[in-house]
Amino acid sequence: MNLVEVNHLSVSFPDDDPYDGIEERDTIIRDVSLSIQKGEVLGLVGESGSGKSMSALSIIRLLKQTARIDGGEILFDGKNLLSLSEKELCDLRGLGISMIFQEPMTSLDPVMKIEPQVAEALRLHFPHMSEAEIHQRVIKVLQDVGLPDPQAICMQYPHELSGGMRQRVMIASALITEPKLLIADEPTTALDVLIQAQILDLLKEIHEKTGISILFISHDLNVIRRLCSRVIVMYHGKIVEEGETLRVLDHPRDEYTKTLVAHTPRVQTRPKDRVLLSMDKVTIYYPPRSFESSLFKKMPLEPYVFDASLTLRENEILGIVGGSGSGKSTIGKVLTGLLGTYDGNIQVFGSDLKEVLKTPERPQMIFQDPGSALNPSRTIGWTLMETLRSGLKARRKNETEKEMKEQILSMLREVDLSEEIYDRYPRELSGGQRQRVCIGQALLYDPEILIADEPVSALDVTVSSQVLRLLLSLQEKRGMSIIFISHDMSIVRSICHRLLVLEKGRIVEEGDTETVFTHPQHPYTRQLIAASML
Amino acid sequence: MKKWTLSRIWEYCKVHPKVFAGALILFVFLILSLLGQVWTPFSVTKMDPLSVSQSPSLLHIFGTDNFGRDVFSRVINGCGITVLVALLTNLVGGGIGILVGSLTGYFGGSFDQILMRINDMLLSFPSVLLALLLISFLGPGTLNVVLALGILFIPSYARIARGEVIRFKDRDFVRSARLQGVSPLRIIFLHILPNARISLFTAAAIGFNNAVLAEASMSYLGLGLQPPTPSLGRMLFEAQSYLLNCPWYALFPGITIILMILGAALLSEGLKES
Amino acid sequence: MKSVVNKLISLIITVLVISFVTFIVFSIIPGNAAIAKLGVDASPEQIERLEEEMGLNDPIVLRYGKWLLNALKGDFGESLQYSGTKVSALLSSRLQVTLVLSLLSMGLILLFSFPISLLCVRHQGKWVDALLSGLGQVLMAVPAFFLGIMITYLLGLVLHFFKPGAYIPLSENPSRAVLYLLFPAISIALPKISMTVRFLKSSIQGELSQDYVRTARSHGMSQGKVLSAHVLKNALIPVITFLATIIAEIMAGSIVAEQVFSVPGIGRLLITSISARDFPVVQAIVMYITSVVVTAGFVMDILYILVDPRLRRK
Repeated sequence: MNLVEVNHLSVSFPDDDPYDGIEERDTIIRDVSLSIQKGEVLGLVGESGSGKSMSALSIIRLLKQTARIDGGEILFDGKNLLSLSEKELCDLRGLGISMIFQEPMTSLDPVMKIEPQVAEALRLHFPHMSEAEIHQRVIKVLQDVGLPDPQAICMQYPHELSGGMRQRVMIASALITEPKLLIADEPTTALDVLIQAQILDLLKEIHEKTGISILFISHDLNVIRRLCSRVIVMYHGKIVEEGETLRVLDHPRDEYTKTLVAHTPRVQTRPKDRVLLSMDKVTIYYPPRSFESSLFKKMPLEPYVFDASLTLRENEILGIVGGSGSGKSTIGKVLTGLLGTYDGNIQVFGSDLKEVLKTPERPQMIFQDPGSALNPSRTIGWTLMETLRSGLKARRKNETEKEMKEQILSMLREVDLSEEIYDRYPRELSGGQRQRVCIGQALLYDPEILIADEPVSALDVTVSSQVLRLLLSLQEKRGMSIIFISHDMSIVRSICHRLLVLEKGRIVEEGDTETVFTHPQHPYTRQLIAASML
Repeated sequence: MKKWTLSRIWEYCKVHPKVFAGALILFVFLILSLLGQVWTPFSVTKMDPLSVSQSPSLLHIFGTDNFGRDVFSRVINGCGITVLVALLTNLVGGGIGILVGSLTGYFGGSFDQILMRINDMLLSFPSVLLALLLISFLGPGTLNVVLALGILFIPSYARIARGEVIRFKDRDFVRSARLQGVSPLRIIFLHILPNARISLFTAAAIGFNNAVLAEASMSYLGLGLQPPTPSLGRMLFEAQSYLLNCPWYALFPGITIILMILGAALLSEGLKES
Repeated sequence: MKSVVNKLISLIITVLVISFVTFIVFSIIPGNAAIAKLGVDASPEQIERLEEEMGLNDPIVLRYGKWLLNALKGDFGESLQYSGTKVSALLSSRLQVTLVLSLLSMGLILLFSFPISLLCVRHQGKWVDALLSGLGQVLMAVPAFFLGIMITYLLGLVLHFFKPGAYIPLSENPSRAVLYLLFPAISIALPKISMTVRFLKSSIQGELSQDYVRTARSHGMSQGKVLSAHVLKNALIPVITFLATIIAEIMAGSIVAEQVFSVPGIGRLLITSISARDFPVVQAIVMYITSVVVTAGFVMDILYILVDPRLRRK
């Protein structure tokens, strides 16, 4: 028996380029048909812009006002939702269908206590329910979502709770009326790895206990695999494949699905013995930020990373993994010179790091967000030219402007970009293209050591594996060493020779990638591996 | 990047009518004020006992005042001084403000903090009030008005420039430039400030707006431009005594000020939205 | 609690700093009090004797200290232009007038801005909104004194609602005085109403696009109910700070409006004192305005902490 049936749904938005003067509409969803059975967890997977969130918002009829449903029907429990009045829709939302969202930080009213927010749907749909009963139901549902001390949480404000707790509160507020369908729109994406796993377990547990139907939207295949029995793959507003989760993910039929589930490329090189970089018992501090402390009293510096020791060999890819706040990026900052406050000894190419940082041979950095790593008001050509002019001043030998441009163009070709990119602005480029430019910028130095801080976590899955493939081939061709900082265990497993695991600023585990994954020693490593579900 | 051809500018104006309207109004006033400096239909100062307090006509399109002077001539002549004062004050305030704000914002430290606290304190006072205080110290007169207003505009420009520099200074592209050894001044002026151009243009339009308003108010109160320098605010003060007999003498300078401010306000808002 | 005490301390420091700076500035200005009192024809000996008598030759910090001690007792010295009159006496009668004027303006602003902004939000994109927004845009561009002149002309000279220039002191006939003050108050309030409406409107619209609105809608709340139950409270928080700015703006507006409508208030006294270089009076008025502006900021900060749970500490 189908709870929801969507037939031939099409949704369009007004054209977002105002300059062409013609009123056009962009079709975001075209001819989508899907059904959700009673008691089923259906996964909806796709990259950004695939129309997966729009499909979900259409079912609960919460699309933006500019959106228009151009055709099709949406049946919920036999009723066509497209023919309901706004009043009838209000009666349905929160009672028959509930929804939870990606950002638990902003999805709760910041100036309202938790209790009225959780009870909101109950008060709206059961106006005659007594306050005592409402309170009882709130406490019960807060317990059900695994929140300790629900009485106290009722009286708190959202900002007093952690991200994971807020997402639990969101789930509680959606479940309090015991709806038939829960739509979950990327509910774990904004959360830290370990919290992510907890929320998924909670949803699974709730589903098993209550038999509620769940439409689960995600870009993350691992999450889908863990939770959903059936999955629908969307691409450019269309459904390209649908079926049992394991069948679709392990034996995809559609070409797009195949690229989506394609394994991350594997590292082929072998490290050599020569040690390029070594850190010996290094403790890293952040300089004090606040005005008062800098002016009036010398605050003791707060250490972020304690007694870290590591070595990087020639031609090696070393992975540094850990949750947010573990200090993994801090190490990268020190090695590139963004942060200079540390105790201990760091040797690069046999001399002190601080000396190497003054030369063009210093380790080069690839940042996480390619959108922020390129100057938005300058062309790519200007930015790369600036690198040659300022950064490589020491190495230049009176090249002409033309020779410098030729050097840049050949670099663009090396990172698989066309020469037209030279005159483009960053906003005209896709995320993957921007990251390629950033890699190219680092390569202009012809570095021996590259530090990549979450270089693909801001990218879509398919783009991410392309960028990783590029990185690996460059590493092989140029014989570089890479320190690869990431929170993503599956990527790290396939591209790193060796791993360091960081927890709260301390290195808790170190070893060959395969050894760490097959025989993890530290409980934190085991948790990380379990959370990544490999 | 597409080229700024005429047709593209026209399309831009259609999408952002506020920018278009604001720029058009300001442009007209710029032309009028330039014209008013070299040629006016009638003499600005010569009194004509035969045509005292005449209502607007084809000859005197804005009418004449109680001394028989042509209001239109006086208005376009006064416009010139107003525009000049507004431009100069913004040049002084903007130049110093942007320099100070971006430097302190980039380098931070206690000097920056102290300066910004003083800034916040000054900005919590209405600018007309501060202008009056500075004038009571400097004494009235055109140059002093420019000086007083110019000093007054430093904090707001500094605040905006500082805010923009701080917004961008921890972006990865600035970090990357820093790692590459680009000099701080080059980072501020070539890497960061081009990204702040919209905010700074907006600030300039608001500054123009405030300058016109402040100059007119001070001249009206008798503490701004002094006679015989023609000034719209001063004209309104004189007109107030003859309001019953020749209301047009008050109306036209007033409308002129309103239009100038409206133009700058529309421009700044349009820029902010785009 | 700690932040409140900190704010209070910084408030006092601000007032002291400003009083000190203005005191020094006014002492540097050529033409000292003794000359002003005796006239330019006085002999050097006479001037010197009076300077000694008035303590003008003491070091500036000492003079500031004396002035501050007296000021704390409410004594701001003697006026130079009305010789022999205490500054405090000059101020007290005018203070009343300005206070009534400011309160009237504030009242008008509060009374009209909130309903108008709600009206605009409810009818967003319709002709009511377009009309009110356009009107507001123009009103914001009108200089306060010109608005005053237009009100004088239209409501005073043409429609005879009041007689321009014929202000009756509060002490003689309070109700007619307040009625007269209503017109300058309108000229102060109108542009500020437009400013407030615009601020409130954009604040509400900003809140309407927040994620929590979508959450409330997903609970089954109607758009109208979301506005009253969630959005308004969030949207009003930034308005608190904005009101502090408005209070400062009213002070500035009343200086001009008093001049236009010939109302004997603080603002008018300030202008004549600046023209006559009567610095003891100017100094006292600066202190008055500073205290109002700084106190308003302080009160709004406290309100902010009370209303916004994110700033509250246990």
